Amino acid sequence: MTIQALEAHKPVSKTRRVRNLKEYLTGWSFIAVPMTLFAVLSIGILFYAVYISRYDWGLLGARKYLGWQNFSDSLKDPVFLRAIRNSLLYAALVVPLQSAMGLTLALLVNSKIKGSNFFRATFYFPSMASSAAITTLFILLMTPDGLFNKILHYFGVNISNLFNQGQWLSDSRTALYSVIGLNAWTTSGTMMLFYLANLQGIDGSYEEVAKTDGANRWQILRYITLPLLKPAHFFVITTGMIGALQLYDQAILAGGADGSPNYSLMTMVLYIYNACFRQFKFGYGAAIGLELFVLIFSLTLAQRFLFGARAWKGDN
Amino acid sequence: MEGRQLKVIFGKYILLAILVLYSFVSFIPFFWSISTSFKTESEVFFNHILPEHLNTSAYVQIATKITPTLYTLFFNSLFIAVTIVILHLILGSTAGYAFARLRFPGRDVLFYMVLATMMIPDQLRVVPVYILLVKMGLISGHPSNFLAIFLLKAVGALDIFLFRQYFLNIPKELEDSARIDGASPIQVFTKIMLPNALPIIATVSILTFQGSWNDLFWPSIILQAPNHWTLPFGILEFQGQFQTDWPPMMALVVLSTLPILLIYLFAQKFIINMQLGSAVKQ
Repeated sequence: MTIQALEAHKPVSKTRRVRNLKEYLTGWSFIAVPMTLFAVLSIGILFYAVYISRYDWGLLGARKYLGWQNFSDSLKDPVFLRAIRNSLLYAALVVPLQSAMGLTLALLVNSKIKGSNFFRATFYFPSMASSAAITTLFILLMTPDGLFNKILHYFGVNISNLFNQGQWLSDSRTALYSVIGLNAWTTSGTMMLFYLANLQGIDGSYEEVAKTDGANRWQILRYITLPLLKPAHFFVITTGMIGALQLYDQAILAGGADGSPNYSLMTMVLYIYNACFRQFKFGYGAAIGLELFVLIFSLTLAQRFLFGARAWKGDN
Repeated sequence: MEGRQLKVIFGKYILLAILVLYSFVSFIPFFWSISTSFKTESEVFFNHILPEHLNTSAYVQIATKITPTLYTLFFNSLFIAVTIVILHLILGSTAGYAFARLRFPGRDVLFYMVLATMMIPDQLRVVPVYILLVKMGLISGHPSNFLAIFLLKAVGALDIFLFRQYFLNIPKELEDSARIDGASPIQVFTKIMLPNALPIIATVSILTFQGSWNDLFWPSIILQAPNHWTLPFGILEFQGQFQTDWPPMMALVVLSTLPILLIYLFAQKFIINMQLGSAVKQ
């Protein structure tokens, strides 16, 4: 009787409390599996990486505590220094190249021309295909007797007089630059879409005002369109750089696990692969992974600083 | 006035010429792989545009003479891709809905945590993840290898983000009227939200399928046993075996690209618009 009386007093709040609790439980259960996976395999695993990196950690046998020795050892290995140099050089060249190509394609495709949808679709397709397929195809095109040299020959280049005799991927002076060319081509389609997304969001009235004020096309591009594309510049450069520093697929496909010829395709990630899965030095590999993370993270922060904090959120 | 018009027309033709030229640059390599796959080995470096005869022996060789078989490579790639698509759809849509519409303590903090995981490169995770998988007994060569891939790729932060974004834009009235009728959150999700989310379901399916189908990094580390290889891993391994025998290699490249090409042909407008959409949201 008394309980019923109490319930009669606060019928709303009790059902609301039950309903709230129900909603909490549903919410938590809906995110439980993803959050567990993230907590273990993305976040917890970072601490595990730090732990492993301080040991001499083989596949079997006893582990020896090394402190920071894995980190200091890495900086003494000329192959690792070569890998850092290659990765940085690759990023420094491929990022501006893919961004410039993406921007150019986006500006061309965005103009009101017949068939622009067709061109968009064609330019984007190389970004859809797998790196394994495209790189294998690229190796065929770039062999000394391949199509690329044939086209050069057609335009009057004497292949046997070239400094590398047309051995684009098997000469250590040109292998990395060839891969840069390949990836600028395959990624430019994605970069084009990022720029297109930004271009389509730009208010056309800015251009109209500039036109009536007598600005020519170049001036409009230079002083109106490009500055308004700042969020896309930021996004394209940041994602491009993160991707570039993780170069692995094309390097192992074109140069094997050693990044041949003569380590010219050895990248930081390929170096981790070698340390772990050919030499079974897992502690050492974990240390390199952490160094790569610090490098990527600090470069991303530097870019954020460079572009200003507001570009981060996609504002102008 | 006439001079200006002429200039505009002239500019248009230059523009068109550039576009056509770059289309060739985008298209010729793929055409070349198809053409080479129908050539004989000795014919390859004549570098003729088309093969002399439509020679299908490279395809016969790929279909009958490689180990693991072409069927195994295709089956593994497809099995992994389809399973991961299903996992992404289930986990992405439920979590996306919870983050968008349900109220519970810790919601926003946890969502930021999801976003933060996108900053962690796979290459940093590879060593500790591998050791963890070894300890769990998932790296050994029997079917549990696939389980390792599923565990690693079951959930995508980007999918949760995209689903959440989409559910936020579905009018709240739809949901409210169902709730007043006494529907539970789970009923609201399955009967109201999911049927209205077909575009985002398609988006996530295509993105995930393509990502899994093309992935080389994780399979090359986890799926070491030949009967577990995927198509990209097979391409990597066969490159050493076939060396200069290009037609079968190109046949494998063509066949492995075919599913992606088909999806692209049927849905290219949709794919491009959805990529544009997700680019805006990022």
